[in-house]
Amino acid sequence: MTATAETRPVRAVAEPPIGWRLYRLLRAIPTWVLWGLVVVWSIPTVGLLVNSFRDRDAQRTSGWWVGFVEPGSFTLQNYRDVLGSGPTGGLWDALLNSFAIAIPATVIPIAIAAFAAYAFAWIEFRGREWLFIGTVSLLAIPLQVALIPLLQLYSGGAQWTIPFVDKTLRLFPDLDLAGSVTAVWLTHTGFALPFAIFLLHNYIAGLPRDVFESALIDGADHFKIFWRLVVPLSIPVLAAFAIFQFLWTWNDYLVALTMIGGNREALPATVAIASLAGEFALRENLLTAGAFVQTVVPIAVFFALQRYFVRGILAGSVKG
Amino acid sequence: MGALGDWVWSILLAGGGVALTLYGVRERMDPERSVRRAVAAVVGVGGSLALGWGALVDEKLRGTAAGVIVAIVVSGVLFVGANRWFDQAEARWRRFGALTGGVIGFAVTGVLVGNRLLAWKPVPELDLTPWLVPLGTVAGAVCGLVLTGLTERRARLVAGLGFGVGYGVLAGLFIRPDIFPAMKIVPLLAWPVVGALVFGALAAGRRRQVLRAAILGATVGWVIGAWLVPALGTGTRAEAMSGATFLSLGSMLWITSAPPRTAEAQRRLAERSRPVIFLAPALVFIGATLVIPTIRTLYLSFLGPRGEVFVGLANYVDIFTDQEIVKLEKWPQIFTSALFYWGVGLTLLGIVAGRIRGRRTGRTFEPSGGSITPIAVGVFLFVWAVFAYLRGTIFNNLWWVFTVTIVSTAAGLAIAVLADRARYESVAKSMIFMPMAISFVGAGIIWRFMYIARPPTKDQTGVLNAIWVGLGRLSNSGTPRLVTAAVLVAVVAGLVWMAWRGWRGGAGGVVAGAATAILGVVWILYRLLGPGLGGFEIGPNGEVIADTILFIQETPFNNVWLMVVLIWIQTGFTMVIFSAAIKAVPAELIEASKVDGATEAQTFWRVTVPQIAPTIGVVVTTLIVLVMKVFDIVKVMTNGNFDTQVLANEMWQRAFTEFNFGLGSALAVLLFVSVLPIMYLNIRRMQKETVR
Amino acid sequence: MRRSRGAFALLAALALVAAACSGDAGAPETTSAPAEGTTSTTKAQPTTTQAAPEPADEEPDLAGTKVTVFGPESSDEEAGSLQDALDVFAAETGIEIVYTGARDFSDQINAQAAGGNPPDIAVFPQPGKLADFARQGLILPLPDDVDAAVQANWPAAWNAFGNVDGTQYGIPTKADLKSLVWYNVQGFADGGYEIPQTWDELKALTNQMIADGVTPWCVGIESGPATGWPFTDWVEDLTLRFQGPEFYDQWVAHEIPFNTPEMEAIWTEILDLWNTPGAVFAAGGSIAATPFGDNGVPLVEGDCMMHRQASFFAAFLPEGTTTGPDGQINTFYFPAVDPNTRPVLGAGTLVAAFRDAPEVWAVMEYFSTPEYATNRQKAQAARKGGGLSGFLSAANGQDMSAYQPLEQGFIEILLTADVVRFDGSDLMPAAVGAGTFWTEATSVVNGEKTVKEALDAIEASWPS
Repeated sequence: MTATAETRPVRAVAEPPIGWRLYRLLRAIPTWVLWGLVVVWSIPTVGLLVNSFRDRDAQRTSGWWVGFVEPGSFTLQNYRDVLGSGPTGGLWDALLNSFAIAIPATVIPIAIAAFAAYAFAWIEFRGREWLFIGTVSLLAIPLQVALIPLLQLYSGGAQWTIPFVDKTLRLFPDLDLAGSVTAVWLTHTGFALPFAIFLLHNYIAGLPRDVFESALIDGADHFKIFWRLVVPLSIPVLAAFAIFQFLWTWNDYLVALTMIGGNREALPATVAIASLAGEFALRENLLTAGAFVQTVVPIAVFFALQRYFVRGILAGSVKG
Repeated sequence: MGALGDWVWSILLAGGGVALTLYGVRERMDPERSVRRAVAAVVGVGGSLALGWGALVDEKLRGTAAGVIVAIVVSGVLFVGANRWFDQAEARWRRFGALTGGVIGFAVTGVLVGNRLLAWKPVPELDLTPWLVPLGTVAGAVCGLVLTGLTERRARLVAGLGFGVGYGVLAGLFIRPDIFPAMKIVPLLAWPVVGALVFGALAAGRRRQVLRAAILGATVGWVIGAWLVPALGTGTRAEAMSGATFLSLGSMLWITSAPPRTAEAQRRLAERSRPVIFLAPALVFIGATLVIPTIRTLYLSFLGPRGEVFVGLANYVDIFTDQEIVKLEKWPQIFTSALFYWGVGLTLLGIVAGRIRGRRTGRTFEPSGGSITPIAVGVFLFVWAVFAYLRGTIFNNLWWVFTVTIVSTAAGLAIAVLADRARYESVAKSMIFMPMAISFVGAGIIWRFMYIARPPTKDQTGVLNAIWVGLGRLSNSGTPRLVTAAVLVAVVAGLVWMAWRGWRGGAGGVVAGAATAILGVVWILYRLLGPGLGGFEIGPNGEVIADTILFIQETPFNNVWLMVVLIWIQTGFTMVIFSAAIKAVPAELIEASKVDGATEAQTFWRVTVPQIAPTIGVVVTTLIVLVMKVFDIVKVMTNGNFDTQVLANEMWQRAFTEFNFGLGSALAVLLFVSVLPIMYLNIRRMQKETVR
Repeated sequence: MRRSRGAFALLAALALVAAACSGDAGAPETTSAPAEGTTSTTKAQPTTTQAAPEPADEEPDLAGTKVTVFGPESSDEEAGSLQDALDVFAAETGIEIVYTGARDFSDQINAQAAGGNPPDIAVFPQPGKLADFARQGLILPLPDDVDAAVQANWPAAWNAFGNVDGTQYGIPTKADLKSLVWYNVQGFADGGYEIPQTWDELKALTNQMIADGVTPWCVGIESGPATGWPFTDWVEDLTLRFQGPEFYDQWVAHEIPFNTPEMEAIWTEILDLWNTPGAVFAAGGSIAATPFGDNGVPLVEGDCMMHRQASFFAAFLPEGTTTGPDGQINTFYFPAVDPNTRPVLGAGTLVAAFRDAPEVWAVMEYFSTPEYATNRQKAQAARKGGGLSGFLSAANGQDMSAYQPLEQGFIEILLTADVVRFDGSDLMPAAVGAGTFWTEATSVVNGEKTVKEALDAIEASWPS
């Protein structure tokens, strides 16, 4: 950034003298375009934020920008309703559930994918390339197809009836996971792995080879190399994936609702917020406040990890 | 107990947090960063204390924390344990043997007990069944320890014989009566012979040890003949015992007939176990959550709605003959649409421009900003014209993929380039990234406030309709219209001045940009003063009536308004990736290009773009896959009504709303298969780059 | 190679062990599955339906049992008051009853049932779906004693919605009255308008209002992804009035094609009314742009005089609106062609059981009682904090004092109706009832298609 910024005056001097004013005006155009885009991009979110402080009748009868003209109409009632006690114990409980889902569903796949990505990148074995291609092509599977088989697995275990002889073998016990947060973790973990392996593999495969070779000469085995070298060096990409995965699991609606089903105590905030409006979207006004409350957490996570994020993605995709 | 448990949990949690923090502080003590470390330590201690306190007061927090800790500790122990286990293969072979034997014993008895095949009730009221697993583990460990200690061939065989018979009889004692097999002599003899012959022949074909393979085959045959074929529950204990004994004997003989491993083989075992250990957790998860459901989906796609009859390819035929999924009848309108003419016109314009430039440089076609841009826009519009009239779920999905991928990539790249030279770069990027953090439920409600239309006599609450109707009012008003027109004329004048200065200064880009802007403003001016601008209608009595746009309902372009939502969300993703890639372009290359006298635009196209080409590939591929699967936006905003159906939502509705799992599965397979080539090409390309 | 395969097999065996060990045989706990809130310990056994529940007198037995209920009502008022009403019964019997509401219940209940994780009781908003579940053997028929008990609780016409091929599966628990017109009391008084008693009178009233320079109707059919459904209610109400209940049943069951001349006449009748200049406040194409819930404000402000909408529309009136004959807004029965018949278009919810257990049947039975209706009404009125509650029940013998006068009138209509039919779009296959019926109606209202084209398109979309 600084390097390129410093080069610009050089170019300006080389430019034919058509007037500094014009040149500076032109120089500023990209910045103006950028901020114009930022404003356009933010309008929808700002609208949500403003409307979340207006009551139902105000939302229904006038645009949110009118709120600036009549600031007196702002109210905290939507937030009070959303966070107050409801049939689901208010949003606080659901937010806790969201944390209970999103944190393990972020940590577990990272650990598992890191092992696998390391193996794909640095351990020689036969069929590595095809196994890798097979794993990553699973990215293309729409996760909706997996919901019912997984729910069956969680609610009744897995049995295999041996063909022709009609004898049944239990492969996975009925742990009664359906309706629990654990079922959601496991599901998210499985769905996240192809992308996680894809991303982490690109980064880990791009780490300098000499680091590993010197370690191997020192007699380190794969486990030690992984633990002592790869994990610390991969912190950026791990953080990057953590952001993505946290965003997805925090904002997930379908998987959580399907796996938890009728167990109200375990439902996350997305489901609780979608439920606020009720039939015929009667209390649609509450959705504004609810959506905003829910958005605060991932944005905080993004801001906290943003630095890592950029560096992580950089190495993950650019180096290939 | 409950209260005590709470205290124990909270102290454990808090203590664990403190210990971890202290460890981190000690390990990474660095005078330059000590302040930051101190802050981290305080935050760590505070956080863990808060967690501990939370665990004390809230059951749910405690449960979650416990779950997370147990999951992490157990997986960690399993992973480290597996590594340590196979470390032994190289260093301490007999210990490895004992461990492996124990694990196998544990596994085998575990499966048998778990499937209720073994039971141990010395007296009716005393159930010792659970103790069978540790028993089996110990037995396996002993066996492993003994066998790895024996190097002489005959001794190994004798030991195998002994263990085989011993374990068989032991297992026979614990077999539950309700699975005693009623053996029949023919299968009992025939299956092992068949098994031995098949396995032996296979081994002979692959030049392996025929005898060992035959033993294995006979054992497998025995399992089939003795346990799978006969009816269970009607046999005698003697039958069960012989069934178990021969099975056990066969397995042990197969194991012990192998020559003992050399030191080299032991080392190789340790080495080859690593990929398995590192990959197994991921593969197990992927297998259970993705591979098995995919296979099941493939299978279901050949069955009827409820999966009871085999229908062959009927579901696939249905997909392509369904009027809602493939709707072609409007194709002639493609050639009469404005989009088509604009697209073809712009493309021709670009080609002509390229030819003219080319005459100067001596090439048939000179690619440049002036020729490529119109061609790109023209082709884009042309494709839109095609998709606007070839309707149905499949074409609509392709329209999504085409539009969102291109626009999101272009917008992300543009923003990344612009932000690269702007101040407060991170603020700008965070604002663009923000939509990614918003859930689809939130996005649905946000965009409702953008698109909603209200009766003409009422205030518009949707941003876009408010602007649209506002423009309509403006162009029908008196003074405000003239004031606006005056301002626009001033703008045009300014632009003309700018173009003139640019022309004088030889800056072609400035001239082109200003000229384009002039065209746009002049057009707005014409609409404003002439036929009118924005949404209005003239009523029967000459009054002005607001005319709103029904963004969500007016086909086919309501699809575009839905795509805008996904572009809004996804551009943050592409922007961040491109931004990082641009920063990674070596500064020397840019320098060199500028020293050579290239303009910024030339530097961008000739240096930056080739440098980030791999990233563009990754982004495009990810987007294609992602947009192909688009679901939530359509589900929340239209549920596929008003001609906005996409494949994933169609599949969801068929399978979950209508319970037609056959057709739903076929749609899923179609979706998967259509993305597969793109995935394959991309991964192959990346693999080549890795090899470099 | 052989060895690594062996190791692989070993790991697979390990996985099996981890799986098999913690199975039901009481093996030691060796898996890593953390004990996280696994509460739904009950599995549906739809195949074992023979067990007759114990007589209701032995209720003490049920203390400590748990029943889960899953349904579409999810907002604070609805779901909260439903739970409140269940809590009353829970306190009496000691059964722990948990209600969970989800916005997309319709898709979710399919997933839960197919995935083997159904609730004990589901609250179906669509009898068609309930019948579908019954025919697949997913829900249980009512035991004879429960059946006998509930038959007396609701009018037979309502119980019939839960009857599938002669067997009672569902129990009605909530009713919506759809054949209603909400009107502006002051406007009617000022204009000296009479409440119309027949469809012709209603049309005459409309024309008179137009002549007087008053806008008679507020119509809006926008409802997000479900845009178009208010139009289908008009169609159903008029079909019931013009063609009678037999035709209605055949039409809903697709024994009569969708594009019959009768249907075309009904659609044309509605569109003619709406397209009469000055008849509708939101003119022309913007009917499809007007959110149906936004009709409350203009109705109160006198921008229009009448709005045909179901009983739950009360919730969409601006806060503080007074209702009833002396209030700002009142209702009248959407008139029939013949003033001597009073066909009623209704909607509502039915409960059905997935698990055969005495506590489940006890809760099921409670759902149909007037006590449940009264408890729920009181709770919902309290949660609403004034005004109409939005809840309605046709159970016999409710405590009418829990209802406001207007609501008492609704119940009166429900209980005295000679013909009651359920909202037809809820009975049709989803591809039509929640798809083309809505979207084609929107196209017609927008003027993009003719009635004939729309009806043909709906007919073509009917799943074979």
